[in-house]
Amino acid sequence: MEVYRRKLKRRIWLLSVLVLFSSALGVYDVFFQTDISKDGIFCFQCGLNTAIGIIAAVQIIRCRGALSNDEKLKIQFNKENDERLIAIRAKAGMPMLMVTSITIIVVAIIAGYFNTVIFITLVSAALFQLIIGLLIKLLYMKKM
Amino acid sequence: MNTKIPDLRKEKKISQEELALAVGVTRQTITSIEVGKYTASLPLAYKISRYFGLKIEEVFDFSEYND
Repeated sequence: MEVYRRKLKRRIWLLSVLVLFSSALGVYDVFFQTDISKDGIFCFQCGLNTAIGIIAAVQIIRCRGALSNDEKLKIQFNKENDERLIAIRAKAGMPMLMVTSITIIVVAIIAGYFNTVIFITLVSAALFQLIIGLLIKLLYMKKM
Repeated sequence: MNTKIPDLRKEKKISQEELALAVGVTRQTITSIEVGKYTASLPLAYKISRYFGLKIEEVFDFSEYND
């Protein structure tokens, strides 16, 4: 459990960096972006940035809560290492699906500066595969 | 696969939550094993059996694999 405790501390540190980065980006977007660039893609980037910041902050609170309470820590450890959940995630192709989806979204944001159609296509593809993955995961959670 | 986990839990007067915490899984996994939706891996079956102080074959019913 001591190894997991260290892992959580490292996770908190990384998430804090992410929160700081998204906050800095948010401040830049609000105060320093010109009005010309505030189109649909800009709004998407702002939304994505805010979502990343909020998710990271919630995760920090969760990790801190687990670190301060041994029972919560054990429950979280069990949840992350539960063999049934690992099997379900593997069957839904989740680890690889997350990697490809995040890559597609990052590429979509970069492509968005050049072509809006490519941006919309890539984001739709990423969302589609995430939804399919989620549905398969829910299906297996019912079955297993 | 049928198991005697529900009976053993009743005997020991422990909840699914307590068993799950002791063997390192979630409560939902214990539920799935009890209703036969999920077959526990060998290490997990061993942990559950050891928790009750029994052998694996005394907790899990392997009769369907006898052929």
